[in-house]
Amino acid sequence: MAEIVAAFGVPHAPAFPALVAREGPNCETARLYAEVAEHVAAAAPDVLIVFTDDHFNTFFLDNFPTFAIGIAETTAGPNDQTPMPHYQVAVPGALAAHIRATALEQGFDIALVQDFDVDHAVMVPLHFLTPKMQVPVLPIFVNALAPPLPTARRCYALGEAVRAAMESWPKPLRVAVIGSGSFSLEIGGPRVPPGDRAAGFPDPEWTNQVQVLLSQARVDDLLDAATFARMQRAGNIGGELLNWIAMLGMIGARKPRAMLPHAGHGHAFGVWRWN
Amino acid sequence: MSVYAINKLCRDALHDLAFREALKRDPAAAIASRDLTADERKALLEGDVVRLYEWGCHPFLLAYLTRWDLFGLTQPIYNKRIRTAHDARDE
Repeated sequence: MAEIVAAFGVPHAPAFPALVAREGPNCETARLYAEVAEHVAAAAPDVLIVFTDDHFNTFFLDNFPTFAIGIAETTAGPNDQTPMPHYQVAVPGALAAHIRATALEQGFDIALVQDFDVDHAVMVPLHFLTPKMQVPVLPIFVNALAPPLPTARRCYALGEAVRAAMESWPKPLRVAVIGSGSFSLEIGGPRVPPGDRAAGFPDPEWTNQVQVLLSQARVDDLLDAATFARMQRAGNIGGELLNWIAMLGMIGARKPRAMLPHAGHGHAFGVWRWN
Repeated sequence: MSVYAINKLCRDALHDLAFREALKRDPAAAIASRDLTADERKALLEGDVVRLYEWGCHPFLLAYLTRWDLFGLTQPIYNKRIRTAHDARDE
């Protein structure tokens, strides 16, 4: 049996690696990732499962999966010209295949992708959390950008299906899971701010509400609140909350050890550990 | 109407360096072979992101155009225009 040892929620803004390279390890963004990275190291996972949303880089609108799982030996990225180092990382292919087979039996028809690279949504978190790329990474793609999106409850159930697959894995294995993304974020739409910034964070109230619900482990309330309309009002990238919700499905209603806000942004940094 | 073709064009501007350079050099020539209506071609060349957005082009992809100021779309110009677009989320 594979044991789920920790869970993390982090943003993946493509500007962060260059920002931290410029401003140094004491800037707020660097310190927030560093605090999560300490917990990742302490949890000592053998594998990182990453719930991620592809931004039309790995996939495009000619064929855009609602859910997909990467089954390969390695992947690389970022594949979207994010200004940051390019990395290669191992993928636990056999575990990924086991998750897909188990999930199919439970009614989750997850698309298969065997030859793929990944964009900033996977590589920005890894750049800060496991920069030596020493921990194999298993990406599970959730459509957060091309409406209609899967529902919050469906994404939570996906996380539960992945947890069930952990329980039937025949070998001991320490697994940590990452939910990658923002709660309130607008790119290229009418809710961007005036001026020269590419991104807007139009809904601080929602950003705060999500953190409260996460902090109090009010999973049902979060799943009720996170309707498509509500997430879209928080920004056209607000669906990325679904990655956090799928991550929660793997660990159930637990209170986080840390929920760190990021001033002026539409996301937070969350750490769930329990032993 | 081919929203898909415009979305694809935006993606190609990111991933296809030769196409991006062609767009910088001569936008009209660069998009001449693309499967677009006259209206779509005009909207692109004028940087009319309001119409493109309201037709259903994906904002995340449209926003790529600002990275190289394609079709005259600097970030402030893009933002100023897109903020006037009809926002279905307000309904």
